[in-house]
Amino acid sequence: MINPLRSEAEAFRFLLGVLVVAAVVVGLVLLIRGL
Amino acid sequence: MEAASIAAGRTTHDTHEEHHHGPPEANRSSRVEPQMLGMLLFIISEIMIFGAFFTAYFFIRVVGGAEWPAEGTELPKLIALTNTCILVSSSLTMHWALESTKHSNRFGLQAGILTTFLLGATFLFIQINEYVHLGFAPQDHAQGTIFYGLTGLHGAHVFIGLTLLAFATIRAFRGHFTPAEHRGVEVPGIYWHFVDVMWVIVYVTVYIL
Repeated sequence: MINPLRSEAEAFRFLLGVLVVAAVVVGLVLLIRGL
Repeated sequence: MEAASIAAGRTTHDTHEEHHHGPPEANRSSRVEPQMLGMLLFIISEIMIFGAFFTAYFFIRVVGGAEWPAEGTELPKLIALTNTCILVSSSLTMHWALESTKHSNRFGLQAGILTTFLLGATFLFIQINEYVHLGFAPQDHAQGTIFYGLTGLHGAHVFIGLTLLAFATIRAFRGHFTPAEHRGVEVPGIYWHFVDVMWVIVYVTVYIL
């Protein structure tokens, strides 16, 4: 389990995870709006 | 020696207190490090502050059903996307700076942390420039209030992050950090990534959705 408060490296990995989740959410919303 | 102390009815703790002068030491948890606890409480308070602004945003948009952005206004999505790329890039250089410190790469540390600072300053400059050319003010409508509130709150965090980075950059050029001792880069790094995470959420909700 990533703990972004433990180290900079884990915080960086957490940021990458948030970017992926944000991209998926935006993609899904745009897809639903397009239907 | 400890056995002698125990035999005399005193514990190691009592012996230690005999040599301690000044006010009593603060109580420390054996489970959580003070730095970790401080950072945890800080992040929780930050989430609550941002949460209050996001609540207002969702209230006027979802509950109130208001148009977003307000009628007759437009948000510069492309400029915001460019700014997002700049901020994410600054996290990459921050990570590079710390990895360089761990591998005794002084040039990597100095170049990485200076680039992070410059990218952050560029982000803030573009954000202020966006405010100047937006065409609406916070007092014009609820959407404007929320927009300036959320992005301004984030901008204030970027400013604080830049202040921390300025100190870390000066220290990096003075040769303060080593592979063994680099907390002065690590903590601003955690904070900087947190600021980036918040921006990704702000950008997606305010500009995209």
